[in-house]
Amino acid sequence: MELANTLSQDGESRGGVLAHLERLETQVSRSRKKMEEPQSAQAEESALGTRIHELRRLRDKLRAEVKQHQASVKASTTNVEPDQTLEITEQESLKRKWENVKAILQAYRFTGISGKLTSRGVCVCISTAFEGNLLDSYFVDLVMRKPLQIHHHSIPVFIPLEEISAKYLQTNIQHFLFTLCEYLNAYSGRKYQADRLQSDFEAFLAGPLQRNSLCNLLSFTYKAEPEGQSFPFCARLLYKDLTTTLPTDVTVTYQGTDALSTTQEEQRAAHENLFFTKPLHQVFTSFARKGDKLDMSLVS
Amino acid sequence: MCAKQMDETVSEFFRRTILKIPLTEMMTILKTWNFLSENQLQTVNFRQRKESLVQDLVLLCEENRASLNDAALLDIIYTQFHRHQKVWDVFQMSKGPGEDTDLFDMEQFKSSFKKILKRALKNVTVSFRDAEENAVWIRIAWGTQYRKPNQYKPAYVVYYSQTPYAFTSSSQLKSNLPLLGQALTIASKHHQIVKMDLRSRYLDSLKAIVFKQYNQIFETHNSTTPLQERSLGLDINMDSRIIHENKTEKERVQRVTQEIFGDYPQPRLEFAQYKLETKFKSDLNGGILAEREEPLRCLVKFSSPHLLEALKSLAPAGIADAPLSPLLTCIPNKGMNYFKIRDK
Repeated sequence: MELANTLSQDGESRGGVLAHLERLETQVSRSRKKMEEPQSAQAEESALGTRIHELRRLRDKLRAEVKQHQASVKASTTNVEPDQTLEITEQESLKRKWENVKAILQAYRFTGISGKLTSRGVCVCISTAFEGNLLDSYFVDLVMRKPLQIHHHSIPVFIPLEEISAKYLQTNIQHFLFTLCEYLNAYSGRKYQADRLQSDFEAFLAGPLQRNSLCNLLSFTYKAEPEGQSFPFCARLLYKDLTTTLPTDVTVTYQGTDALSTTQEEQRAAHENLFFTKPLHQVFTSFARKGDKLDMSLVS
Repeated sequence: MCAKQMDETVSEFFRRTILKIPLTEMMTILKTWNFLSENQLQTVNFRQRKESLVQDLVLLCEENRASLNDAALLDIIYTQFHRHQKVWDVFQMSKGPGEDTDLFDMEQFKSSFKKILKRALKNVTVSFRDAEENAVWIRIAWGTQYRKPNQYKPAYVVYYSQTPYAFTSSSQLKSNLPLLGQALTIASKHHQIVKMDLRSRYLDSLKAIVFKQYNQIFETHNSTTPLQERSLGLDINMDSRIIHENKTEKERVQRVTQEIFGDYPQPRLEFAQYKLETKFKSDLNGGILAEREEPLRCLVKFSSPHLLEALKSLAPAGIADAPLSPLLTCIPNKGMNYFKIRDK
């Protein structure tokens, strides 16, 4: 019928036939394509499918390899660990031993005389103390040579080091050190007493404490009771023996114009005796305690 | 209130002493002097011109009836702050053999010293100021039988009790030196006094030298040894591509220098002087000088802002061989920086 329609007109009949043929052609190609598409899609699908399989296989293979490697590493480390810990404990124990020895060497200074070997001899440390208080330390660096020499030292210039060295250094080094120790400890002790008096018992002193480098001459004016009625006494303490911490000469005088009563004279003599027998700061501690006792008696 | 007119010379002495003090130190020195009270100091304007400030301070001194001794004390304090402005000599005293223990009494020393000077010279001003370590600073203004003491050329003596050493500022009036020595010796209960061949501006260094306090580094178990930390001053931070060809020699020089000079700061001296009276010595035969019978006289002087540190650095710097001549290295040990060298 379409043919009839297209043939009815001359002009249109050619276009009609050719156009018809064209139409038929495109129809055929379309239908052919539709038949091909599922095929290519399928081909693609299958290709992708195989690729996926391949990748999965590769992944599993690599996973297996990794697991294997890890296992072998673990095995090797477990073998190493016990050795390493052994080394550490040895090191630690050595370190502890070394620190222990070092601490003992450091503690030696509490014995009063200690030393350390040096490249040229020995450095002796004399640590002074008084009444259980650790005071200054002094050093003598000795050169081990014939004759024995003092390289340098920290002994104060007013301690008779040259005298002591001249007597004992070459002949009896022990005696040298012990004598030096005696002088230094006595000096430290006297200095300690004078310092305590100046700092702790200022209230009892009527003027400044007069002293000298060796602390072997002390002169001061004091009151046994800082606020009380007691009279000011002048005390003069001489330490002629440089190896002692107690005075060799004591004079307590009264600076007033009136004569002393018997009780005051007794007090003066008693004080003199106290200064002879007790360290200086202890004398003043007993003065302070007596004061406290008096207060207590007033209260009760 | 009628304030007694201060003696004009004393007033002038105050004025000139206070004028010397630099403005930056004025407050510190006045407070150390402790003669003018806090309240009085507060009434003064310290920001005005110096001349006016000095005038105000002198007026305050007059109000307080300041004496010549107060002025002398201020002068001592100024000198203590400016001790480097003076050149100090060192004297050494000695006792006879077998002397009793030195029972030094500071008050006795002062009164004895003053008495000896006053007995010899009617006109002399002697003032004392106690210092740390049981030392005393003595100021002496010299006069004559007929003239009042000259307050502007005083001599200073620093004495540490129970030591044989005294330090004196080189007084321009040298004729009074024997009297000063005598007063010192007798007052401190010594027998003899000798001037040491040691002189410097740095009083503390002189003290360190004669008291042998300049090396206070000791090895103990209680401290980290400085030897470990001591680098040989060589190449800690040096580029590893640089090699020292003469490394062994450098290390030897460092070691020798360290043995002689130690690791401690050197006491400070400004010079060392060597007076040579020696015959000419030469390796070459002949020559007029070699035939000369009389010794040659010459003076060699080494000067430096810090002589011993300079000497210490000579060998490491490559300027001199190590070890240095013992004539140079013996200075602190012998306590000398003046030497007379003669042929033996």
